[in-house]
Amino acid sequence: MLDEYFSEGTVMYRDGVADWEEAVDVVSGPLLDLRKIKPSYVDAIKASIRKPGGTYIDLGQGIAMAHARPEAGVVATSLSVLKVGRPFLLDDSQDHPISTLFCLAAQDSKSHLSLMQSLATFLSDGRNQERLGKATNVEELRAILKEER
Amino acid sequence: MKILTVCSTGLGSSFITQLNIDKALKELGVTGVETDHSDLGSVNKGDADVIFVGRDIADAAKDLGDVVVLNSLIDMKEIKEKLAEALKRHGLDIHEEEQTA
Repeated sequence: MLDEYFSEGTVMYRDGVADWEEAVDVVSGPLLDLRKIKPSYVDAIKASIRKPGGTYIDLGQGIAMAHARPEAGVVATSLSVLKVGRPFLLDDSQDHPISTLFCLAAQDSKSHLSLMQSLATFLSDGRNQERLGKATNVEELRAILKEER
Repeated sequence: MKILTVCSTGLGSSFITQLNIDKALKELGVTGVETDHSDLGSVNKGDADVIFVGRDIADAAKDLGDVVVLNSLIDMKEIKEKLAEALKRHGLDIHEEEQTA
């Protein structure tokens, strides 16, 4: 189950954030606290988003997955997620309103296969996309992740 | 036939897209198509028959051959439609009538 990949405190809900950078800080915060990633990984994510085409982490349907290369500072493969009540604009781009931001820290490009399979299955399900969009608290988010199809 | 999904880091967006294409291939009843994911920097023209990318790196990938641009990487309907078109373009038979909803 996808839920198992989210450690305590890594599923978050906020009414809103000031901007996309704050969203990245919030979503990566618990992974930093748990020492799953280093501060350099957060910097790399922000730098990647600022680059031309950096908004490619927008998967569609208001869902984005912040990530960077493992060597940028991943200690252990991990996931976190932030749902915001008011969407923010990724890289301040009107084309990229985001309400659910995942943070993916993968130790290498192949070994996180089972995690990615769960995540891909979960995210490509239209019902899950809709439920994520409607969630207004951590309990609801946890329940959606738990009932992953 | 080989399909490659490409994003800037080569392990997040492109991996999810690859897994969704695998799923779409299954749903379309197509076998024998190899899929993989990679980062933009290490892909060369000719590495795959078809390359799938998200809209944000469409420009950067435009010289890589048969490039399919996705608006959403998690919209199975769009992925399936564009995948079916690409497979037909490359002469693969698709038995869509066998599909169940």
